[in-house]
Amino acid sequence: MSSPSTHAEVTAADTAGRWPLLLLFASGLVWLVVSGVLALVASIQLHSPAFLADCAWFTHGRVTALVETTFVYGWCANAGVGIALWVLGRLGGSPLRALNWAVVGTLFWNAAIALGLIGIATGDATSFSLLQMPGYVQPLLVAAYVAMSVSGILAWNGRRTDGTFASQWYAVAALFIFPWLLVAAQAMLVWSPVRGVLQAVVDGWYVQSVLSLWLAPLALAGAYYVVPKATGRALPSYEFAPLAFWTLLFVGSFSGGRHLIGGPVPAWLPTLANAACWMLLFHFSVVALNLRGVFSRGGTAFKFISFGLSAYVLGSLLDAMTSFRGVALITQFTYFATAQQQLALYGGISMLFFGSIYFAMPRLTGRSWASGALVRGHAALTILGVLLLVVSLAVAGWIQGHDLNNAKIAYAELSAHTRPWLLVVTAAYSILLFGNLLLFVNFILSVCSACCVRSDNLPDSSSFRQPSAMEVPAL
Amino acid sequence: MMKNGFLFFAGLFAAFAFGWAGIALGSHRQLGALAPYHDDSEGSSFPSRPPGLAARGQLVYADLGCASCHTQQVRRPDFGSDKDRGWGERQSVARDYIYQVRPQLGNSRTGPDLANLSGRKAPFDAAELTVFLYTGILPGGKVLSHPPFKFLFDDAVVVGETSAYALVLPPSLAPAAGRQIVPTERARTLVSYLQSLNTPYEFPEARPVTPAVAQKEGAHK
Amino acid sequence: MSTPSNQDPRLDQAAASDESLLASHEKLLGTQPDEKARYKLVPLTLLFFFSGLIFFAGTYLNRYSGLFDPHIYNENSLPTTGAAVAVKIDPLVLGKKQYEAVCITCHQATGLGQPGVFPPLAGSEWVNGSDDRLIRVVVYGLQGPIKVMGVDYNGAAMPAIGKVAGSGFNLSDEKIAAVLTYIRQQWGNSTAAITTEQVAAVRSKDGDRKAYTAAELLK
Repeated sequence: MSSPSTHAEVTAADTAGRWPLLLLFASGLVWLVVSGVLALVASIQLHSPAFLADCAWFTHGRVTALVETTFVYGWCANAGVGIALWVLGRLGGSPLRALNWAVVGTLFWNAAIALGLIGIATGDATSFSLLQMPGYVQPLLVAAYVAMSVSGILAWNGRRTDGTFASQWYAVAALFIFPWLLVAAQAMLVWSPVRGVLQAVVDGWYVQSVLSLWLAPLALAGAYYVVPKATGRALPSYEFAPLAFWTLLFVGSFSGGRHLIGGPVPAWLPTLANAACWMLLFHFSVVALNLRGVFSRGGTAFKFISFGLSAYVLGSLLDAMTSFRGVALITQFTYFATAQQQLALYGGISMLFFGSIYFAMPRLTGRSWASGALVRGHAALTILGVLLLVVSLAVAGWIQGHDLNNAKIAYAELSAHTRPWLLVVTAAYSILLFGNLLLFVNFILSVCSACCVRSDNLPDSSSFRQPSAMEVPAL
Repeated sequence: MMKNGFLFFAGLFAAFAFGWAGIALGSHRQLGALAPYHDDSEGSSFPSRPPGLAARGQLVYADLGCASCHTQQVRRPDFGSDKDRGWGERQSVARDYIYQVRPQLGNSRTGPDLANLSGRKAPFDAAELTVFLYTGILPGGKVLSHPPFKFLFDDAVVVGETSAYALVLPPSLAPAAGRQIVPTERARTLVSYLQSLNTPYEFPEARPVTPAVAQKEGAHK
Repeated sequence: MSTPSNQDPRLDQAAASDESLLASHEKLLGTQPDEKARYKLVPLTLLFFFSGLIFFAGTYLNRYSGLFDPHIYNENSLPTTGAAVAVKIDPLVLGKKQYEAVCITCHQATGLGQPGVFPPLAGSEWVNGSDDRLIRVVVYGLQGPIKVMGVDYNGAAMPAIGKVAGSGFNLSDEKIAAVLTYIRQQWGNSTAAITTEQVAAVRSKDGDRKAYTAAELLK
């Protein structure tokens, strides 16, 4: 075992980044709860159309736009950037620099989102999926994001060791590519819109890129760090990690066109997307092989990461299956597609985020999480909620798809068939909301307990074990 | 590549640019300059431009997020039940949308497809559509099948004569005596947009593939 | 590595330091799958899998991309090569559409018209008689009394349907030909089809003029 002074588990890098990173996590969690409330409203409206229908702000279309905006730009962006900065800081080996930028960026990012949400609610939505925020907040988003990511890029460039690790690649990729994506999508959709169906094509590309080139890398940055860190073993089949990384980046954004199967676009667009979907299976299988150690051990972070990893891989298989036109014929335009999206965003990406946050928080605050019961409660409710949500949406979608393809079944009858499952969806959203409230309370309690003790008592070194050196597998 | 800072960033940028060029630019190159189709035998070009009121109505449709439940893209007759449901005789093609400021293709059919709403066999008239938006109950129906968009209407006191736009409602939903339900301008533009939705002309590229060609394709395998 | 009890849900312990994590993985990246000339199963399977996916994706793309043609919407079709093959429209289908849009209000779906007001088309000597006369009636319209199958009709005027001055319908020659062909094949009628060229010829010969009368046509 190395001497504690060089290998202390909680380092100056953590204490320096504490408040900016906690601010990112806190903002993410606030938006997660807000998004949970809105998702509940939207899901109630699916079986009870009159719910809040008299209020223009909460008409179903707008609530749907608010849900996806708060979830992706509120929760996923804040949490993901927090994780990426933390990973890059730790692996960079020295305290994060330019953290003032990160703080200012976070504040402006969240202000822009708040403004964007008001814009959507009052009728300024762009109507582009995942790009709903009105044109007047879009430039602010780009600027704020760049400010947030500066620290991460500096930490990468100024890293102590010459060698690099998969976490760093994914984190840097997400930080660096997203502004380009956002600017390109804004230019082609908001500032100088392309004509006709091209808007749908470009938006499809953007939505898929957000998933494949931004959110998935952010989630993997955390998972690739936490898994070997907590198992103490080097990742198996790691020599394939670079190939898997580049496969995701180069092929990922092509797979978005599968949502346009049968649509008013030339056949090659969905066909190319389907081919990309199958190519991506390589990425997913390597990630699964690399991170399979997560299933061998317990622990809070691993509970979430193992679930997240399974959902991430299962989601890709489902995407590949439903990309066949014969299957898409049933699942396209139905709740099944929503189920796939929730499986990716909630089951995959968010669960990986949760895992990384559970691992990172004690190192940032210098103390354990405040309550073990709340941790267990959150884990149980979230896992139950996601399973219930995805399964009930998938069943509802499957029924809906079969009914839609039978012209004899009228819409009223179809709604009656899916209604029981949509009620389960509402229940699932309630469970998720409750679970996330537990996490939020635990987070606040943990931050408070870190604030209340004298700072020279931090970190609480007695609770952190000194890590040993990593086992290198025999070749 | 992973160690060389410059190469790594160049690779990341290339990854972004590859996807962008392949999909966004590639399709733009093909469809960006799509022209209307001139039919000599009809002596006119298709599609026609939507009337101004309808173009404004599309923005109302967009900002209410109608696309979260309604698609506007008909699939070809042998792919799904779109034709059998009376949503359209032919598949939608890119040319249908060239004059639309903000095409609303949508990706969910929680409600029916609307691409050809006013071109169906028995289309709604403007009055029926307006009442439907207010009540959420289909003409002749009894149950709520759509969220009622009451916020698009004014419940106003009748001063002098009843407004020419005032809704004619069934007794159970009628306003109190001396009051009337008047659609706002947004409601009227929205209805005018919905009324403009039809795809009457069959473009060459939208015609079904004839079985003979399909068989030849089969031989290709 | 020691495997300590890690059961406190509030804190996940680390089992390796950051430095050793970086160093050991860096070392792994330098290795080759065939280290010491011993191919291992996992890397080999992965490489086969990757090649398989590339092969499958490529074949699929080749089969269903319509050669990346912007006008191909059905993934099963290929772009027509050389001279574009004009899709022939069935005149009966086109004609039926026109009939249902224009003629059906008076002559009815049965082709029997309304007794005493609108003459029938089924079995009518006007429909199954001279080509040019039929074209003239439909293109330019018909005013005044007319005798059809021995019955006198004087109730209504037939409007001009073709693309002529004063026509409210302005149907193209192709559509006129189609609708005439349609009514000549319906309701027991079975007379030869009328071509677009015939309609065009009549229209260019007669020029712009007012509606015909039955007397003029029978001259």
